[in-house]
Amino acid sequence: MPEAPLVITAPTAPTKTRRKAPPALVIFGIGWLMLMLIVALLADILAPYAYTALDLRNRLSPPILLGGTWLHPLGTDELGRDVLSRLIYSIRTSLLIAFGATIIGAAVGTSLGFLAAHFRGFIEQAVLALVDFSASLPFLILALAVLAFFGNSLLLLVCLLGLHAWERYARIARGLALAAGTQGYAAAVRGLGASPWRIYGRHVLPNIASTLIVSMTLAFPEVILLESGLSFLGLGVQPPETSLGSMVGYGREYLTRAPWILLAPASTIVLTTLSVSLIGDWLRDGLDPTLR
Amino acid sequence: MLRFLATRLARAALTIAMVVTFAFVVLRLSGDPAQIIMGADAPPEAVDAFRSAWGLDEPIWVQYFSYFWAILQGDLGRSMRDGRDAIMLVTERIPATLALTLPALAIKICLGIPAGIYAALHRNSLADRVVMIIAVAGFTVPSFVLGLLLVLVFAVQLGWLPSGGQESWRHGILPVMTLGLGGAAVLARFTRSAMLEVLGQPYIRTASAKGVPWRAVVTGHALPNAAIPTVTIIGFMVGTLIAGAVVVESVFSWPGVGRLLVVAVANRDLAVVQCILLLVAITMVCANLIVDLLYGLLDPRLRAAPRKAA
Amino acid sequence: MKAGGALLEAEGLVRRYAMRRGLLGRAVEVRAVDGVSLKLERGRTLGLVGESGCGKSTTGRLVLGMETPDAGRVSFDGAVMPQPGSAAWRAMRARMQMVFQDPLGALDRRLPIATQVGEPLEIHGIGARSERAARVETLLRAVGLRSDQGARYPHELSGGQRQRAVLARALATDPALLVCDEPISALDVSIQAQVMNLLVDLQEQFGTAMLFVSHDLRAVRQVSHRVAVMYLGRIVEEGEPDGVLHEPAHPYSRALVSAIPHPGRAGQRIVLQGDPPNPADRPSGCAFHPRCPVATSLCARETPALKARPDGRLVACHVAHGEVSAGQGHARQEAA
Repeated sequence: MPEAPLVITAPTAPTKTRRKAPPALVIFGIGWLMLMLIVALLADILAPYAYTALDLRNRLSPPILLGGTWLHPLGTDELGRDVLSRLIYSIRTSLLIAFGATIIGAAVGTSLGFLAAHFRGFIEQAVLALVDFSASLPFLILALAVLAFFGNSLLLLVCLLGLHAWERYARIARGLALAAGTQGYAAAVRGLGASPWRIYGRHVLPNIASTLIVSMTLAFPEVILLESGLSFLGLGVQPPETSLGSMVGYGREYLTRAPWILLAPASTIVLTTLSVSLIGDWLRDGLDPTLR
Repeated sequence: MLRFLATRLARAALTIAMVVTFAFVVLRLSGDPAQIIMGADAPPEAVDAFRSAWGLDEPIWVQYFSYFWAILQGDLGRSMRDGRDAIMLVTERIPATLALTLPALAIKICLGIPAGIYAALHRNSLADRVVMIIAVAGFTVPSFVLGLLLVLVFAVQLGWLPSGGQESWRHGILPVMTLGLGGAAVLARFTRSAMLEVLGQPYIRTASAKGVPWRAVVTGHALPNAAIPTVTIIGFMVGTLIAGAVVVESVFSWPGVGRLLVVAVANRDLAVVQCILLLVAITMVCANLIVDLLYGLLDPRLRAAPRKAA
Repeated sequence: MKAGGALLEAEGLVRRYAMRRGLLGRAVEVRAVDGVSLKLERGRTLGLVGESGCGKSTTGRLVLGMETPDAGRVSFDGAVMPQPGSAAWRAMRARMQMVFQDPLGALDRRLPIATQVGEPLEIHGIGARSERAARVETLLRAVGLRSDQGARYPHELSGGQRQRAVLARALATDPALLVCDEPISALDVSIQAQVMNLLVDLQEQFGTAMLFVSHDLRAVRQVSHRVAVMYLGRIVEEGEPDGVLHEPAHPYSRALVSAIPHPGRAGQRIVLQGDPPNPADRPSGCAFHPRCPVATSLCARETPALKARPDGRLVACHVAHGEVSAGQGHARQEAA
């Protein structure tokens, strides 16, 4: 199969000209993402209670805005567990899964893309057939099937979500490596007698890194949405662990009586995916106009 | 053209074969298939009978081919919950799902494409901004959040519509809205960028520079060219008609294929899961095939091009 | 080391590519290189001239072993070229190097020049870390770059400086053979002469043999000890550069020479008729006959062999060898 007509442009060289300041929405996105990272890192310090701690005297207590007390700023659920604390730990779990999965996806996809570009022939055909395969099934269905067959664990969930979007990285890595290999710096370095490890690790990878990073910021919100979707269905993160999606799924039972249980994690999901999407779009426009 | 068709068909068959292989491998990796398909509480002699009937004592590649052969004959195993044929269980749920996904697809196309085209033609206008903000929101708000918000507003607060179940057509309104609005936003965003891409091409500038009226430039040159990438994403949406409502069906307790899948996964009812997996793959592959053929009609160049644009 | 022996010998190199016009088209076989033999001695330069698409760059890659010929063989220093990509092949890269047409493309934009010049030393494990830095500085100076320019990135240098950096990198392992593929055609005219002079100087200094591939006959003459003219995958004429330039024997070489602008000699230009050759659709007999002003009917039938004339010049032309008297050009004859 001939190669995909991927548009290749040279990566942007580091320039000394000052970039325009990012638009306000992007600044908001960066700020929100920083906040989320801090919350995830400092969850143990920031959370006022343990996420499993019960407060049976204050069950279904509303958040401050709805007339609650400072004891539980975002209210409690029907077991009296503090919503704020659960939210903080959920952010940590969800971000951890999303980061892990995105990195796994990028690593697997890029490696396979390089393998295809390096060996061509049968291996390339096999990789391309796998790309076709994973592009032909909605990922949610595939993930559900695997979970059905293998049961459920956090590690499996991360690895599974890591397979999401691997084919995008594989396509990009293969296309750019082929372009660099036919008449570019990679061909030149090969002509110097460099080993494949050196060619791909030292030269090709740093050169296509900006494109890969942009793809990662575009895939990251999708992974968050997938994880929260699976957890919402009760098939992702399992109790007693908690994630943003499982909080929404759980809070759904109390939609009429205590909508705050659901609204806090739901708005966190929306704001986080929105922030990363905004940053990703901005990075793409600035760094790599070839992606769309 | 014949050769083009043949290659596409071969690729489609290969993809389905890969899905079957995937199911086979995963099934074998997850434990004793006889036990799994027959169910944990099946009597041992029944499991043994099943084993010899399916040739599970044969070498693995013989098993692989007989598995393939059984699937070709439509034998997809039995549900371990009520012992019925998995394929029957799944097919009787399809109408319910289509009752959600078909109207939703209509909403996506009727709202998303005009909004995207309008936004592209009036770039940076207020309308463009509004469309884009809604489109980004549509992408970042997960369908279960959107669905629950709609329930909160229209069922809990206003009390206009029921929040779940499938008793009347009014029960379908909220799930269809949930599916349709989210998809319309994605489609609007996509159409807009496809349109902008085309409008930036030299032949558009040439056409308007030589005095072709702008309306004619848009309808004669821009729209047909922007249609090509848009058809791909609509094809993908058609491919998800059968199982594109997994989450929404769960939110609204709608008894469709998606709900069945979630329950089957939770119960590890593997025959049903495998059956849905194949069904989805076949729909998806057929949709892709139709898109490929449409491509050939829309763009004669692509008939010769080996792969669709990345 | 054998004194005077040929460093590089190529015999009957053939390189075919299967070209497809889309998925529907039939695969057409294109012979990019169709039976090229050449010989290069230590410290000497062979110039390879021809228009684009004649297979001269492919020949360069074949003799370097970057591609495997479909027929024929390349021997370097008496040994057969190992399989591309193998360890032996990689080790051999230290002895043969390439200089590219586009120096910006050949350099990694993300690494400073000095790192890249020192990379062959790192790859082949030559010298200790501290010695390498000194060697890089010597190399930079040898190609006329300042040592502080080693800290720059490729895009911060001019085109000529980048080509110097590529040269320095190519010379780092002190190779016996340098293949220069159109090394000056991407450069400004004012820079071209400097780089050409540098190449001559470096050859004297390092004793490197060079295969100089170019479409520019004058540039080739300036650096070469011998010149070979290629047309559609074959060598049609080979000889001393001055001889070929002043008294070209093959009609194609004559057309090339006449295309060189020359003050006071206006009006003598031979303008080739017909389309540039399509390697997928090779004419019968002498491949040049449809465009040749002196072609005869014999030229359309029989392929002329590359043979030596009494004065030692190698030519592949029926007319030049006197096997037939000059005709009026095949195309015109048929029209008449």
